[in-house]
Amino acid sequence: MKQDYFSANNIKYIDYKDTDILKRFLNGNGKIMSHKRTGVTSKNQRQLTSAIKHARFLGLLPFVVK
Amino acid sequence: MKLIQDMEIKDKNEISEDANSRVYELGYLLVPTIAGENIPAVYGDLKDVITTNFKGEIISDEMPKQMTLAYSMLKVVSNVRSKFDSAYFGWVKFNMDPEQIVELKKHLDLDPNIIRFLIIKTVKENTIATKRFVERSRGVKRTFTVKKSDEALTPIDKEEVDKEIDALIAN
Repeated sequence: MKQDYFSANNIKYIDYKDTDILKRFLNGNGKIMSHKRTGVTSKNQRQLTSAIKHARFLGLLPFVVK
Repeated sequence: MKLIQDMEIKDKNEISEDANSRVYELGYLLVPTIAGENIPAVYGDLKDVITTNFKGEIISDEMPKQMTLAYSMLKVVSNVRSKFDSAYFGWVKFNMDPEQIVELKKHLDLDPNIIRFLIIKTVKENTIATKRFVERSRGVKRTFTVKKSDEALTPIDKEEVDKEIDALIAN
């Protein structure tokens, strides 16, 4: 993924409930992929991390995949 | 002139309302021990609490749905520890005064039906976009396949036409 996924799909607000989108940005262990790998702009990467963390808190996404 | 003045006043009122209230979203997990039939009642009560007790204005919401949690959660109610692997997840988006939201949080903290909840600031517009994209991409693929089939059909037709013409000439 070289281009910013969110601006390409015209997503202005990253929702924590959109787990299908958020799962794309997790690696095999459930860790958030780095800015370098995702190719997302800094602004969206910050939104993305907080959305993933909110989803984790409500059990929508795992903290760790064993 | 009166009309214009009225309009201006209305605009001012709207702005002041916006300044006083903010858009929040409450995501919550309900205890899975509630029977499926009782879910609408619990959900209705929660909405009532937001609208009547805390003067909120509901923008959009979704019915709680049963889901398996990504990890097991603990909740202590009256010194009894209970472990949950599944829950009913629902959310409500609403307008509310920032002072009221603190009270709402205190109220929800004491609710025995809720395992966990999350209150965040959000925007009024619909933020879930997944379904739309999936449909769009599928639609694009479908149109491509249709085009290909058309192209595949046309040359066969031409050949048939040629054969028919040949047959006519031979006759």
